[in-house]
This record gives sequence, structure tokens and C-alpha cells, in this order.
Amino acid sequence: MAVGYSLVFSVLNFSNFAHGAVIMLGAYVGLALATKFSLGLGLVIAGSVAGAGIIAVLNERLAYSSLRRRKAPSLYLMISAMGCAVFLENMVYATIGSRFYAFPEFFGRQIIDLWGSSVSLLDMGAFLFALAAILGLHLFISRTRTGIAIRAGVSDMTMCSLMGVDLDRLIAIVFLLAGAFAGVAGVFLGIKYLVYPTMGWVTNKAYIAAVIGGLGSLPGALAGGLILGVVETFVSTYVSSVLRDVFSFTLLIAFLVLRPNGLLGRDGEEKV
Amino acid sequence: MSALRVENLNVHYGTIHAVQGVSFSLEEREIVSIVGSNGAGKSTVMWTLAGVVERSGGSVDIFGESLPTKPHEIVARGLALVPERRRLFSALTVSENLIMGAYRRKADASVEEDMERCFQLFPILKKRLNQRSGTLSGGEQQMLAISRALMSKPRILLLDEPSLGLAPLLVETLMETILRIRSEGMTVLLVEQNATQALEISDRGFILEAGRFQKSGPGKELAGDPEIRKAYLGG
Repeated sequence: MAVGYSLVFSVLNFSNFAHGAVIMLGAYVGLALATKFSLGLGLVIAGSVAGAGIIAVLNERLAYSSLRRRKAPSLYLMISAMGCAVFLENMVYATIGSRFYAFPEFFGRQIIDLWGSSVSLLDMGAFLFALAAILGLHLFISRTRTGIAIRAGVSDMTMCSLMGVDLDRLIAIVFLLAGAFAGVAGVFLGIKYLVYPTMGWVTNKAYIAAVIGGLGSLPGALAGGLILGVVETFVSTYVSSVLRDVFSFTLLIAFLVLRPNGLLGRDGEEKV
Repeated sequence: MSALRVENLNVHYGTIHAVQGVSFSLEEREIVSIVGSNGAGKSTVMWTLAGVVERSGGSVDIFGESLPTKPHEIVARGLALVPERRRLFSALTVSENLIMGAYRRKADASVEEDMERCFQLFPILKKRLNQRSGTLSGGEQQMLAISRALMSKPRILLLDEPSLGLAPLLVETLMETILRIRSEGMTVLLVEQNATQALEISDRGFILEAGRFQKSGPGKELAGDPEIRKAYLGG
């Protein structure tokens, strides 16, 4: 989840609050494929990746691209993103309804013993899948021509277009990638918890993770997610699970005030 | 047919009329420079030709066809800009910067060939291939910026203040390089603060003041004009 956030932030420099809604829609797509067509996990994820990817690209085309062309400040984009999130959620309320849906059981309830700690098969699967996806993204970004163009765009959008890069297309690719990650996240979230219209708000956590790690940094997103997870678990266990979110948001504010670049974020001076 | 024909070019930034009816043309294999004081609109002309800044009036033809409006389409027509302050992708390595320069081309043997040609012009770049471009010295960065532009196989090269921040000796080498690039068939439009040196190597020059051309003529003649020397060339 944090990966999708970071990807869009690093290229367009704004926090895409609609990312959560895309995850939610991805989960619904996966759910439909799993229950209506009773497909296997692989196909469900593939379908959800494709669906969420397309939704993310449409989201950019309809809600952001005209703002982007007018060089609107990123605050406007953020407001538009929030609007999208609210709109998409309510659209689901109005059409599918507020019911909670469960995925069929893909991973039994087995628990694996891993060096003394017990991990459910589902968590293990999610972890491995996320790892593989991030590795794939890393290879894509560092090796392919399009990947280099994405990094060039992060560095200097205008110069990127002067190299002959069609910015509209490049940005569509970025949203497609972010959407694909949202699709994966949606399916795993849906399996672990349930599928419902506001499930995307978990991405607030992804946003916090991305801020801690450094918005716009992919390794940072990973590290931030890890740190946030550990902190939340410790707080729930030793302090109180009710206070968990208070701690998370305090952490967010502390980082925004004291170290807005995050742990592994790019320093502003690099642009000079 | 001119390589580039600019007819009554106008550019507005909000209410500011930055470029006011500028017309000129570049013939093939010519070096033309635009000289003028700070804020005269030199860079604006360059950014407008590259498609980053929108023109509010006038027409531009490239090799007899009208110039497209989007930057990536303009590059495809054979016009490349090396902007002021180089604007390299500082987080990317030297070789990645060059690959970006060749972005619109198919990655084939001809790209490798052109990279070799850049290394012939600037041998030092070959040693720096895997270094981040932000860590290069100013001179090396300028070499990379020019190479990056050459990688798109342009027919017209726009250079905006290439000598900015370079030591005098390097400026001289740079001017020689520009002459060498031209001798290989390039058409060059040069904007320079080092006006004397730029005019010396130019076939023709234009003096831009407050968004309008004040004077034009053969480069050497302008460089020798006492009035211009006094106003723009520091005596």
C-alpha cells in the first residue's frame, strides 16, 4: 500500500488520498471474481491488479490531468484526491451497499512455526507476495527504459519531456503501477479482514508509513511500514490497544514537524 | 528552406509581455547567437522553441513544417535544448542520463554508436559512466548536458548559456566543441552571457533587449561594434 502512495507522490509530488478507494475497488473486483466466477487465488489477484490499475489510470485522467496541465499547486490535487475518495466510496454504498463481504477461504487456518513465533499462512503469503512485487518493481525502475524515465521524471519533469518523453503517458504508467499494487493490497486486505466500502481508510496507515520512511522513497516506504507495524504492536501489547492509533498519529505529526523528509527521504537540496 | 523560421513570436507571462514580436531564421549548419542583458527574454525564446513555454502569438517552422506544440513532439522533429544551468537528472548516473537523451529512439546499435561519438567529443564522460551526474564537476556536467541533447540525434541544437559557471579555459574549449559539432552538420542557436566569444564563433548575431531585437548582423561585426561592446560586452 505504502508503495503505491510513494510511487505517485515521488512523481507528482502530492499525496494521493484516493489510493485507499482504489484499493477498496480492487478488493471488490477480486471479490466478484472469487465468488461469482469462483476463480483461484492467482487469477483473482491478476484480475484485481488489472481492475485497480485501470481504475487508477481513469482516476488520473478524469480528476488530476486537467489540474496538472494547468500547473495547479499540489494542494488542489490533494483536495481533488479526497473528493475522489469520498465519491468512490459513496458510489459503492449506493450500488453495492454497505454490507461486509468475506472472501472464500484461500489459505486454510494453518499456522506455520517460524523460529519460535507462529505466523498464519495468509500473513506469510501476503508477505512473500509483497516482497516479490516490490523486488519486481525495483528491477523495473532501475533497469528498464521506462523505469529510468520515471526516475528522471522524479528528478526533473520538464527536462524529462525535453528528452522526448510523453508525460501524459508516463504518468499513466505510474498510476497503472500504483493501481496494480493497490489491487494486490486490496485482495490480501479483503482476505484477512473483510470487504466493505471504507476498508480503504486503512491506507491512512500506509500514508503514515510512507511519511516515516520518507515520501517518495520506495525503500523508505518498506522501512516505514515495518517500523509502524512494530510500534503499533508494542503499544497495543504493553500500553493499550485503544491508544494504538493515537500513537500512530502522534508519530505522524512528530515526523511531519521534525523530519518531513522522513528517514530515507530525498533531501530538498538535491534539486539544486 | 530554413532550418528554423520564427515569425513574429510573442510570449506572455500573465500580464508581462516577455517576448514582443521576434522574427529570425536559422539556415542549415549556421551558428546564430542571441545576446542581451539579464531579463531580456533570451531564455524565454529558448524555452518557447522547445515547447515548455506556450507562445501567445506568431509561428515557428522547422525545415518548412510548422513546429508542434508539445515538448516530446518537438524533440521528435529534431530540435534539442540544453537549458541554462544544465538541468541534469542529478540522481541518475551518467549513462542513465545519456539513455534518457535517446529515449525516443529504439535502443539499438545506433544509440551505442552515438554514445561513442559523445565519448570522442568528451572522453572524460566514459570514465564517469556509472557515477551519479550530480557528483560531476561543472565542466563535466556541461559536457554531459550537451551529450544528452546530442543523443536525441537533433538537427538543431539550442544552447542556453552553456558557458555559465565555467573557467575561461573551459569556455574556450566549449566554443571549439560547438564549432566541431557544427562542422558535423548541426545547426546551432546559442544564447550567451559570454557575448564576445559567442559572437566570435557565430555566423550571425542578434541583440535582444526588453523582448525585442535591437540589432542584428554578422557575429564578428557585432563583436567589434563599439556601441555593443560598451553596452553588453563589458567594454
